Amino acid sequence: MTPALSISHLRKVYARGTVAVNDLSLDIAAGDFFGLLGPNGAGKSTTIHCITGISTVTSGEIRIFGVDAVKNYREARRRIGLSPQEFNVDTFATCRQILDWMGGYFGMERAERKRRAEMLIEKFDLVPHATKQFRELSGGLKRRVVLARALIHDPDLLILDEPTAGVDVELRMDLWRYLQELNHDGKTILLTSHYLEEIERLCRTIAIVNKGKIVQHGPKNEFFTEPGGLEEAYLRATGATPERIAAAAGR
Amino acid sequence: MGASINWVGLLTIIRREMTRLLRVPIQAFVAPWISALLFIFIFGYVVGGRISQIGGHSYLEFVLPGIVMLNVVNAAFLQSSSQVYFARFMRYVEETLVSPLSYVEMISGVLVTVVFRSVVTALGILVIAALFGASSVAGVGEFVFWVVGVAIVFGLLGNLVGLWANNFEQLTILNVFFITPLSFVGGVFNTIDMLPSWLQWMAWANPFFYFINGLRHSMIGFTEAPELLGIGVTIGLGAVMFVIVWRLYAIGYGLRE
Repeated sequence: MTPALSISHLRKVYARGTVAVNDLSLDIAAGDFFGLLGPNGAGKSTTIHCITGISTVTSGEIRIFGVDAVKNYREARRRIGLSPQEFNVDTFATCRQILDWMGGYFGMERAERKRRAEMLIEKFDLVPHATKQFRELSGGLKRRVVLARALIHDPDLLILDEPTAGVDVELRMDLWRYLQELNHDGKTILLTSHYLEEIERLCRTIAIVNKGKIVQHGPKNEFFTEPGGLEEAYLRATGATPERIAAAAGR
Repeated sequence: MGASINWVGLLTIIRREMTRLLRVPIQAFVAPWISALLFIFIFGYVVGGRISQIGGHSYLEFVLPGIVMLNVVNAAFLQSSSQVYFARFMRYVEETLVSPLSYVEMISGVLVTVVFRSVVTALGILVIAALFGASSVAGVGEFVFWVVGVAIVFGLLGNLVGLWANNFEQLTILNVFFITPLSFVGGVFNTIDMLPSWLQWMAWANPFFYFINGLRHSMIGFTEAPELLGIGVTIGLGAVMFVIVWRLYAIGYGLRE
Protein backbone atom coordinates (compact mmCIF):
# COMPACT_ATOMS: atom_id res chain seq x y z
CA MET A 1 0.00 0.00 0.00
CA THR A 2 1.31 3.45 -0.90
CA PRO A 3 2.38 5.36 2.22
CA ALA A 4 0.57 8.59 3.00
CA LEU A 5 3.95 10.24 3.43
CA SER A 6 7.29 8.94 2.31
CA ILE A 7 10.45 10.93 2.96
CA SER A 8 13.80 9.64 1.76
CA HIS A 9 17.18 11.16 2.56
CA LEU A 10 15.75 14.61 3.19
CA ARG A 11 18.34 17.26 3.79
CA LYS A 12 17.70 20.91 4.47
CA VAL A 13 20.53 23.39 4.77
CA TYR A 14 19.59 27.04 5.35
CA ALA A 15 21.28 29.87 3.52
CA ARG A 16 23.61 30.58 6.45
CA GLY A 17 24.81 26.99 6.46
CA THR A 18 22.73 25.63 9.34
CA VAL A 19 21.89 21.98 8.71
CA ALA A 20 18.32 21.69 10.01
CA VAL A 21 17.49 18.26 8.59
CA ASN A 22 20.20 15.75 7.81
CA ASP A 23 19.43 12.62 5.79
CA LEU A 24 16.00 12.07 7.32
CA SER A 25 13.98 9.15 5.99
CA LEU A 26 10.49 8.22 7.13
CA ASP A 27 7.37 6.43 5.95
CA ILE A 28 3.92 7.05 7.41
CA ALA A 29 1.30 4.48 6.50
CA ALA A 30 -2.08 5.67 5.26
CA GLY A 31 -4.47 5.89 8.21
CA ASP A 32 -1.72 6.08 10.84
CA PHE A 33 -1.63 8.52 13.73
CA PHE A 34 2.04 9.41 13.77
CA GLY A 35 3.83 11.37 16.47
CA LEU A 36 7.04 13.26 15.85
CA LEU A 37 8.92 14.14 19.01
CA GLY A 38 12.08 16.09 19.48
CA PRO A 39 13.64 18.98 21.38
CA ASN A 40 13.46 22.56 20.11
CA GLY A 41 15.56 22.96 16.98
CA ALA A 42 15.61 19.21 16.28
CA GLY A 43 14.24 19.71 12.77
CA LYS A 44 10.55 18.81 13.24
CA SER A 45 9.10 22.06 11.94
CA THR A 46 11.65 22.29 9.14
CA THR A 47 10.68 18.79 8.02
CA ILE A 48 7.03 19.85 8.01
CA HIS A 49 7.89 23.01 6.11
CA CYS A 50 9.68 20.93 3.47
CA ILE A 51 6.68 18.58 3.15
CA THR A 52 4.20 21.43 2.74
CA GLY A 53 6.27 23.74 0.52
CA ILE A 54 7.01 26.50 3.02
CA SER A 55 10.69 25.56 2.79
CA THR A 56 12.68 24.50 -0.22
CA VAL A 57 14.31 21.08 -0.11
CA THR A 58 18.12 20.97 -0.36
CA SER A 59 18.13 17.30 -1.38
CA GLY A 60 16.10 14.15 -0.97
CA GLU A 61 12.60 13.17 -1.97
CA ILE A 62 9.16 13.65 -0.43
CA ARG A 63 6.11 11.80 -1.69
CA ILE A 64 2.52 12.36 -0.61
CA PHE A 65 0.41 9.29 -1.40
CA GLY A 66 3.03 8.47 -4.04
CA VAL A 67 3.04 11.95 -5.61
CA ASP A 68 6.33 13.86 -5.67
CA ALA A 69 5.81 16.88 -3.41
CA VAL A 70 8.38 19.00 -5.27
CA LYS A 71 7.99 18.07 -8.93
CA ASN A 72 4.22 17.65 -8.79
CA TYR A 73 3.56 19.99 -5.90
CA ARG A 74 0.06 21.07 -6.92
CA GLU A 75 -1.34 17.58 -6.86
CA ALA A 76 0.55 16.69 -3.68
CA ARG A 77 -0.63 19.77 -1.77
CA ARG A 78 -4.28 19.15 -2.48
CA ARG A 79 -4.05 16.19 -0.12
CA ILE A 80 -2.34 17.97 2.78
CA GLY A 81 -3.82 20.14 5.52
CA LEU A 82 -1.39 22.07 7.70
CA SER A 83 -1.85 23.63 11.10
CA PRO A 84 1.46 25.43 11.65
CA GLN A 85 3.13 26.16 14.94
CA GLU A 86 3.05 29.93 14.37
CA PHE A 87 -0.02 31.84 13.24
CA ASN A 88 0.37 32.66 9.55
CA VAL A 89 -2.85 34.55 9.02
CA ASP A 90 -4.00 37.95 7.77
CA THR A 91 -4.85 39.19 11.24
CA PHE A 92 -7.39 41.70 9.91
CA ALA A 93 -9.42 38.96 8.23
CA THR A 94 -12.40 37.45 10.01
CA CYS A 95 -12.57 33.83 11.02
CA ARG A 96 -15.11 33.15 8.25
CA GLN A 97 -12.98 34.90 5.62
CA ILE A 98 -9.89 32.91 6.63
CA LEU A 99 -11.72 29.62 6.08
CA ASP A 100 -13.41 30.81 2.90
CA TRP A 101 -10.16 32.02 1.35
CA MET A 102 -8.26 28.88 2.23
CA GLY A 103 -11.00 26.76 0.65
CA GLY A 104 -10.78 28.99 -2.40
CA TYR A 105 -7.03 28.49 -2.78
CA PHE A 106 -7.73 24.78 -2.88
CA GLY A 107 -10.19 25.29 -5.73
CA MET A 108 -13.35 24.54 -3.73
CA GLU A 109 -16.53 25.95 -5.22
CA ARG A 110 -18.45 28.54 -3.23
CA ALA A 111 -21.29 26.33 -1.98
CA GLU A 112 -18.88 23.62 -0.82
CA ARG A 113 -16.61 26.17 0.86
CA LYS A 114 -19.53 27.66 2.71
CA ARG A 115 -20.82 24.27 3.82
CA ARG A 116 -17.43 23.12 5.10
CA ALA A 117 -16.66 26.46 6.74
CA GLU A 118 -19.94 26.54 8.65
CA MET A 119 -19.51 22.93 9.71
CA LEU A 120 -16.01 23.63 11.04
CA ILE A 121 -17.06 26.89 12.70
CA GLU A 122 -19.67 24.92 14.59
CA LYS A 123 -17.36 21.99 15.31
CA PHE A 124 -14.70 24.24 16.85
CA ASP A 125 -17.22 26.38 18.80
CA LEU A 126 -16.41 29.44 16.75
CA VAL A 127 -19.98 30.52 15.97
CA PRO A 128 -19.93 33.63 18.24
CA HIS A 129 -16.53 34.60 16.80
CA ALA A 130 -17.09 33.92 13.10
CA THR A 131 -17.27 37.59 12.11
CA LYS A 132 -14.52 38.79 14.44
CA GLN A 133 -11.12 39.70 13.10
CA PHE A 134 -8.41 37.15 13.88
CA ARG A 135 -6.46 39.73 15.92
CA GLU A 136 -9.43 40.15 18.25
CA LEU A 137 -9.45 36.48 19.27
CA SER A 138 -7.76 34.90 22.29
CA GLY A 139 -4.83 32.52 21.81
CA GLY A 140 -7.01 29.43 22.17
CA LEU A 141 -9.57 30.71 19.66
CA LYS A 142 -6.82 31.59 17.21
CA ARG A 143 -5.53 28.04 17.49
CA ARG A 144 -9.01 26.70 16.72
CA VAL A 145 -9.29 28.91 13.62
CA VAL A 146 -5.95 27.66 12.33
CA LEU A 147 -7.00 24.06 12.93
CA ALA A 148 -10.31 24.63 11.16
CA ARG A 149 -8.42 26.20 8.27
CA ALA A 150 -6.23 23.07 7.97
CA LEU A 151 -9.38 20.98 7.57
CA ILE A 152 -11.36 23.19 5.20
CA HIS A 153 -10.53 21.16 2.07
CA ASP A 154 -10.95 17.82 3.81
CA PRO A 155 -7.32 16.69 3.40
CA ASP A 156 -6.24 13.06 3.54
CA LEU A 157 -3.04 13.89 5.41
CA LEU A 158 -3.33 16.28 8.32
CA ILE A 159 -0.10 17.80 9.61
CA LEU A 160 -0.32 19.41 13.02
CA ASP A 161 2.73 21.25 14.30
CA GLU A 162 2.24 21.64 18.05
CA PRO A 163 -1.50 22.21 17.72
CA THR A 164 -2.20 22.36 21.44
CA ALA A 165 0.57 24.78 22.39
CA GLY A 166 -0.96 27.53 24.50
CA VAL A 167 -4.50 26.14 24.61
CA ASP A 168 -6.44 25.37 27.75
CA VAL A 169 -7.07 21.87 29.08
CA GLU A 170 -10.69 21.81 27.96
CA LEU A 171 -9.89 22.64 24.36
CA ARG A 172 -6.99 20.21 24.39
CA MET A 173 -9.32 17.39 25.44
CA ASP A 174 -11.88 18.43 22.81
CA LEU A 175 -9.19 18.55 20.19
CA TRP A 176 -7.85 15.14 21.12
CA ARG A 177 -11.33 13.69 20.77
CA TYR A 178 -11.78 15.36 17.41
CA LEU A 179 -8.41 14.20 16.11
CA GLN A 180 -9.21 10.66 17.16
CA GLU A 181 -12.50 10.89 15.30
CA LEU A 182 -10.74 12.14 12.19
CA ASN A 183 -8.19 9.36 12.39
CA HIS A 184 -10.95 6.84 12.93
CA ASP A 185 -12.59 8.15 9.75
CA GLY A 186 -9.43 7.36 7.80
CA LYS A 187 -7.38 10.57 7.94
CA THR A 188 -3.64 10.14 8.33
CA ILE A 189 -2.32 12.45 11.01
CA LEU A 190 1.23 13.64 11.61
CA LEU A 191 1.48 15.35 14.97
CA THR A 192 4.39 17.12 16.60
CA SER A 193 4.17 18.05 20.22
CA HIS A 194 6.24 18.74 23.28
CA TYR A 195 3.62 17.03 25.43
CA LEU A 196 4.69 13.39 25.75
CA GLU A 197 1.30 12.60 27.22
CA GLU A 198 -0.38 13.86 24.06
CA ILE A 199 1.79 11.73 21.79
CA GLU A 200 1.39 8.73 24.08
CA ARG A 201 -2.37 9.05 24.17
CA LEU A 202 -3.03 9.72 20.48
CA CYS A 203 -0.31 8.19 18.33
CA ARG A 204 0.16 4.63 17.14
CA THR A 205 3.61 5.21 15.70
CA ILE A 206 6.28 7.48 17.14
CA ALA A 207 9.56 8.87 15.83
CA ILE A 208 12.06 10.88 17.83
CA VAL A 209 14.09 13.45 15.95
CA ASN A 210 17.33 14.93 17.20
CA LYS A 211 19.80 17.15 15.34
CA GLY A 212 17.95 16.71 12.07
CA LYS A 213 17.88 12.90 12.13
CA ILE A 214 15.43 10.22 13.21
CA VAL A 215 17.06 8.61 16.23
CA GLN A 216 14.29 6.23 17.21
CA HIS A 217 11.23 5.10 15.32
CA GLY A 218 8.62 2.44 15.76
CA PRO A 219 5.17 1.43 17.03
CA LYS A 220 4.17 3.02 20.32
CA ASN A 221 4.47 -0.19 22.36
CA GLU A 222 8.20 -0.41 21.54
CA PHE A 223 8.69 2.75 23.58
CA PHE A 224 7.21 1.17 26.68
CA THR A 225 9.56 -1.77 27.13
CA GLU A 226 11.74 0.22 29.59
CA PRO A 227 10.43 1.28 33.02
CA GLY A 228 10.50 4.99 32.21
CA GLY A 229 8.34 4.52 29.12
CA LEU A 230 8.23 7.20 26.47
CA GLU A 231 9.86 9.80 28.67
CA GLU A 232 12.94 7.68 29.27
CA ALA A 233 13.14 6.69 25.63
CA TYR A 234 12.86 10.32 24.64
CA LEU A 235 15.56 11.47 27.05
CA ARG A 236 17.86 8.64 26.01
CA ALA A 237 17.33 9.33 22.32
CA THR A 238 17.93 13.03 22.66
CA GLY A 239 21.12 12.59 24.65
CA ALA A 240 19.97 13.59 28.11
CA THR A 241 22.28 13.01 31.08
CA PRO A 242 22.18 9.60 32.86
CA GLU A 243 20.87 11.34 36.01
CA ARG A 244 17.84 12.71 34.18
CA ILE A 245 17.22 9.34 32.53
CA ALA A 246 17.46 7.61 35.92
CA ALA A 247 15.03 10.11 37.39
CA ALA A 248 12.56 9.43 34.57
CA ALA A 249 12.94 5.67 35.02
CA GLY A 250 12.29 5.99 38.76
CA ARG A 251 9.00 7.84 38.32
CA MET B 1 -6.75 19.91 -11.44
CA GLY B 2 -3.32 18.80 -12.73
CA ALA B 3 -1.60 21.54 -14.70
CA SER B 4 -4.85 23.32 -15.53
CA ILE B 5 -5.62 26.76 -14.20
CA ASN B 6 -6.96 26.91 -10.65
CA TRP B 7 -9.53 29.60 -11.47
CA VAL B 8 -11.22 29.46 -8.07
CA GLY B 9 -7.81 29.85 -6.42
CA LEU B 10 -6.91 32.79 -8.64
CA LEU B 11 -10.24 34.50 -8.00
CA THR B 12 -9.76 33.93 -4.28
CA ILE B 13 -6.40 35.73 -4.31
CA ILE B 14 -8.11 38.59 -6.14
CA ARG B 15 -11.02 38.63 -3.68
CA ARG B 16 -8.64 38.63 -0.72
CA GLU B 17 -6.57 41.48 -2.11
CA MET B 18 -9.66 43.48 -3.09
CA THR B 19 -10.91 43.09 0.47
CA ARG B 20 -7.59 44.32 1.81
CA LEU B 21 -7.49 47.20 -0.68
CA LEU B 22 -11.00 48.36 0.15
CA ARG B 23 -10.11 48.45 3.85
CA VAL B 24 -7.99 51.54 3.08
CA PRO B 25 -9.93 53.58 0.49
CA ILE B 26 -8.56 56.94 1.63
CA GLN B 27 -4.97 55.79 1.31
CA ALA B 28 -5.59 53.92 -1.95
CA PHE B 29 -7.82 56.32 -3.87
CA VAL B 30 -8.62 59.59 -2.10
CA ALA B 31 -4.96 60.50 -1.42
CA PRO B 32 -3.86 60.27 -5.10
CA TRP B 33 -7.01 62.10 -6.22
CA ILE B 34 -6.31 64.99 -3.84
CA SER B 35 -2.68 65.04 -4.93
CA ALA B 36 -3.77 65.10 -8.58
CA LEU B 37 -6.30 67.84 -7.84
CA LEU B 38 -3.51 70.00 -6.40
CA PHE B 39 -1.24 69.32 -9.39
CA ILE B 40 -4.04 70.15 -11.81
CA PHE B 41 -4.98 73.31 -9.94
CA ILE B 42 -1.46 74.69 -9.44
CA PHE B 43 0.39 73.53 -12.54
CA GLY B 44 -2.47 73.31 -14.94
CA TYR B 45 -4.80 76.07 -13.88
CA VAL B 46 -2.75 78.70 -11.99
CA VAL B 47 0.67 78.37 -13.68
CA GLY B 48 -0.73 76.98 -16.91
CA GLY B 49 -2.89 80.06 -17.42
CA ARG B 50 0.33 82.05 -17.97
CA ILE B 51 1.91 79.56 -20.39
CA SER B 52 1.22 79.64 -24.11
CA GLN B 53 -0.15 76.59 -25.88
CA ILE B 54 2.00 73.51 -26.54
CA GLY B 55 1.32 71.75 -29.82
CA GLY B 56 -2.05 73.47 -30.05
CA HIS B 57 -3.12 72.36 -26.56
CA SER B 58 -3.51 74.27 -23.32
CA TYR B 59 -0.85 73.61 -20.68
CA LEU B 60 -3.46 71.87 -18.52
CA GLU B 61 -4.31 69.47 -21.35
CA PHE B 62 -0.60 68.90 -21.94
CA VAL B 63 0.28 68.24 -18.32
CA LEU B 64 -2.76 66.09 -17.44
CA PRO B 65 -1.51 62.82 -19.03
CA GLY B 66 1.71 63.15 -17.04
CA ILE B 67 -0.23 63.61 -13.82
CA VAL B 68 -2.37 60.57 -14.63
CA MET B 69 0.74 58.53 -15.41
CA LEU B 70 2.54 59.58 -12.20
CA ASN B 71 -0.41 58.35 -10.20
CA VAL B 72 -0.85 55.14 -12.19
CA VAL B 73 2.82 54.29 -11.61
CA ASN B 74 2.57 55.04 -7.90
CA ALA B 75 -0.69 53.14 -7.46
CA ALA B 76 0.69 50.08 -9.25
CA PHE B 77 4.02 50.04 -7.45
CA LEU B 78 2.63 50.70 -3.98
CA GLN B 79 -0.17 48.16 -4.39
CA SER B 80 2.01 45.27 -5.44
CA SER B 81 5.04 45.99 -3.25
CA SER B 82 2.92 46.37 -0.11
CA GLN B 83 0.69 43.42 -1.05
CA VAL B 84 3.64 41.05 -1.43
CA TYR B 85 5.65 42.49 1.45
CA PHE B 86 2.79 42.38 3.96
CA ALA B 87 1.90 38.82 2.96
CA ARG B 88 5.50 37.90 3.77
CA PHE B 89 5.74 40.08 6.86
CA MET B 90 2.52 38.68 8.39
CA ARG B 91 3.37 35.24 7.00
CA TYR B 92 -0.02 34.64 5.39
CA VAL B 93 1.83 34.13 2.13
CA GLU B 94 2.30 30.62 3.56
CA GLU B 95 -1.42 30.03 2.97
CA THR B 96 -0.81 30.27 -0.75
CA LEU B 97 2.51 28.42 -0.60
CA VAL B 98 0.86 25.32 0.88
CA SER B 99 -2.02 25.47 -1.61
CA PRO B 100 -2.23 24.02 -5.12
CA LEU B 101 -1.62 27.40 -6.76
CA SER B 102 0.85 27.93 -9.59
CA TYR B 103 3.32 30.81 -9.56
CA VAL B 104 1.55 32.36 -12.56
CA GLU B 105 -1.72 32.33 -10.60
CA MET B 106 -0.06 33.95 -7.59
CA ILE B 107 1.53 36.68 -9.74
CA SER B 108 -1.67 37.22 -11.76
CA GLY B 109 -3.68 37.60 -8.55
CA VAL B 110 -1.40 40.46 -7.52
CA LEU B 111 -1.55 42.06 -10.97
CA VAL B 112 -5.35 42.09 -11.24
CA THR B 113 -5.60 44.12 -8.02
CA VAL B 114 -2.81 46.37 -9.25
CA VAL B 115 -4.63 47.05 -12.52
CA PHE B 116 -7.93 47.67 -10.68
CA ARG B 117 -6.35 50.23 -8.34
CA SER B 118 -4.49 51.94 -11.20
CA VAL B 119 -7.53 52.16 -13.48
CA VAL B 120 -9.78 53.51 -10.71
CA THR B 121 -7.11 56.06 -9.79
CA ALA B 122 -6.77 57.15 -13.45
CA LEU B 123 -10.53 57.42 -13.98
CA GLY B 124 -10.90 59.48 -10.80
CA ILE B 125 -8.26 61.92 -12.01
CA LEU B 126 -10.05 62.23 -15.38
CA VAL B 127 -13.24 63.13 -13.53
CA ILE B 128 -11.38 65.77 -11.48
CA ALA B 129 -9.76 67.16 -14.64
CA ALA B 130 -13.17 67.34 -16.31
CA LEU B 131 -14.15 69.89 -13.66
CA PHE B 132 -11.34 72.07 -15.05
CA GLY B 133 -12.46 71.42 -18.63
CA ALA B 134 -9.60 69.11 -19.59
CA SER B 135 -10.15 65.41 -19.79
CA SER B 136 -10.33 64.46 -23.43
CA VAL B 137 -9.42 60.92 -24.41
CA ALA B 138 -8.78 60.78 -28.16
CA GLY B 139 -8.17 57.02 -28.34
CA VAL B 140 -9.92 54.95 -25.69
CA GLY B 141 -8.20 51.69 -26.65
CA GLU B 142 -4.80 53.33 -26.65
CA PHE B 143 -5.55 54.99 -23.28
CA VAL B 144 -6.50 51.63 -21.78
CA PHE B 145 -3.33 50.05 -23.19
CA TRP B 146 -1.10 52.66 -21.54
CA VAL B 147 -2.83 52.64 -18.18
CA VAL B 148 -3.06 48.83 -17.98
CA GLY B 149 0.34 48.19 -19.61
CA VAL B 150 2.23 50.57 -17.33
CA ALA B 151 0.30 49.31 -14.29
CA ILE B 152 1.44 45.76 -15.13
CA VAL B 153 5.09 46.83 -15.57
CA PHE B 154 5.12 48.63 -12.22
CA GLY B 155 3.00 45.95 -10.60
CA LEU B 156 5.73 43.46 -11.51
CA LEU B 157 8.47 45.83 -10.34
CA GLY B 158 6.62 46.30 -7.04
CA ASN B 159 6.25 42.54 -6.75
CA LEU B 160 10.00 42.16 -7.12
CA VAL B 161 10.67 44.82 -4.47
CA GLY B 162 8.06 43.20 -2.20
CA LEU B 163 9.99 39.93 -2.44
CA TRP B 164 13.34 41.59 -1.85
CA ALA B 165 12.53 44.02 0.95
CA ASN B 166 13.20 42.96 4.51
CA ASN B 167 11.93 46.12 6.17
CA PHE B 168 9.70 49.11 5.47
CA GLU B 169 12.69 51.30 4.63
CA GLN B 170 13.73 49.03 1.77
CA LEU B 171 10.18 49.06 0.48
CA THR B 172 10.41 52.78 -0.27
CA ILE B 173 13.96 52.96 -1.65
CA LEU B 174 13.07 52.36 -5.30
CA ASN B 175 10.22 54.83 -5.19
CA VAL B 176 12.33 57.59 -3.67
CA PHE B 177 15.52 57.16 -5.70
CA PHE B 178 14.26 55.81 -9.02
CA ILE B 179 10.55 56.07 -9.76
CA THR B 180 9.82 59.62 -8.59
CA PRO B 181 12.93 61.28 -10.10
CA LEU B 182 12.66 59.48 -13.45
CA SER B 183 8.94 60.15 -13.75
CA PHE B 184 9.41 63.87 -13.07
CA VAL B 185 12.12 64.18 -15.74
CA GLY B 186 10.18 61.97 -18.16
CA GLY B 187 8.20 64.84 -19.66
CA VAL B 188 5.34 65.35 -17.23
CA PHE B 189 5.62 69.13 -17.29
CA ASN B 190 7.61 69.82 -20.46
CA THR B 191 8.38 68.66 -23.95
CA ILE B 192 11.77 67.14 -24.73
CA ASP B 193 12.87 70.10 -26.82
CA MET B 194 12.40 72.38 -23.78
CA LEU B 195 15.30 70.50 -22.12
CA PRO B 196 18.91 71.58 -22.67
CA SER B 197 20.34 69.68 -25.64
CA TRP B 198 22.82 67.78 -23.42
CA LEU B 199 19.89 66.41 -21.39
CA GLN B 200 17.66 65.37 -24.26
CA TRP B 201 19.38 62.01 -24.79
CA MET B 202 18.54 61.12 -21.21
CA ALA B 203 14.87 61.53 -21.95
CA TRP B 204 15.14 59.01 -24.79
CA ALA B 205 16.80 56.54 -22.42
CA ASN B 206 14.13 57.08 -19.77
CA PRO B 207 11.22 54.61 -20.04
CA PHE B 208 8.94 57.07 -18.26
CA PHE B 209 9.21 59.35 -21.27
CA TYR B 210 7.61 56.65 -23.46
CA PHE B 211 4.88 55.94 -20.92
CA ILE B 212 3.92 59.60 -20.54
CA ASN B 213 4.29 60.32 -24.24
CA GLY B 214 2.12 57.33 -25.13
CA LEU B 215 -0.62 58.31 -22.71
CA ARG B 216 -0.44 61.90 -23.92
CA HIS B 217 -0.90 60.72 -27.49
CA SER B 218 -3.92 58.65 -26.48
CA MET B 219 -5.48 61.67 -24.74
CA ILE B 220 -4.66 64.69 -26.89
CA GLY B 221 -2.92 63.23 -29.94
CA PHE B 222 0.39 64.95 -29.16
CA THR B 223 3.54 62.87 -29.47
CA GLU B 224 7.30 63.35 -29.47
CA ALA B 225 8.33 59.76 -30.16
CA PRO B 226 7.24 57.00 -32.53
CA GLU B 227 4.21 55.24 -30.99
CA LEU B 228 5.45 51.76 -31.83
CA LEU B 229 8.75 52.36 -30.09
CA GLY B 230 6.91 53.23 -26.87
CA ILE B 231 4.60 50.24 -27.17
CA GLY B 232 7.62 48.00 -27.80
CA VAL B 233 9.46 49.38 -24.76
CA THR B 234 6.41 48.79 -22.54
CA ILE B 235 5.68 45.27 -23.75
CA GLY B 236 9.39 44.40 -23.65
CA LEU B 237 9.79 45.66 -20.08
CA GLY B 238 6.61 43.86 -19.03
CA ALA B 239 7.80 40.57 -20.54
CA VAL B 240 11.28 40.81 -18.99
CA MET B 241 9.85 41.74 -15.59
CA PHE B 242 7.34 38.88 -15.73
CA VAL B 243 10.06 36.31 -16.47
CA ILE B 244 12.21 37.64 -13.62
CA VAL B 245 9.35 37.64 -11.11
CA TRP B 246 8.14 34.20 -12.22
CA ARG B 247 11.65 32.82 -11.80
CA LEU B 248 11.94 34.33 -8.32
CA TYR B 249 8.63 32.70 -7.32
CA ALA B 250 9.81 29.40 -8.76
CA ILE B 251 13.02 29.37 -6.71
CA GLY B 252 11.14 30.67 -3.68
CA TYR B 253 13.17 33.89 -3.39
CA GLY B 254 11.84 35.86 -0.43
CA LEU B 255 8.96 33.42 -0.08
CA ARG B 256 10.24 30.05 1.02
CA GLU B 257 12.76 29.39 3.78
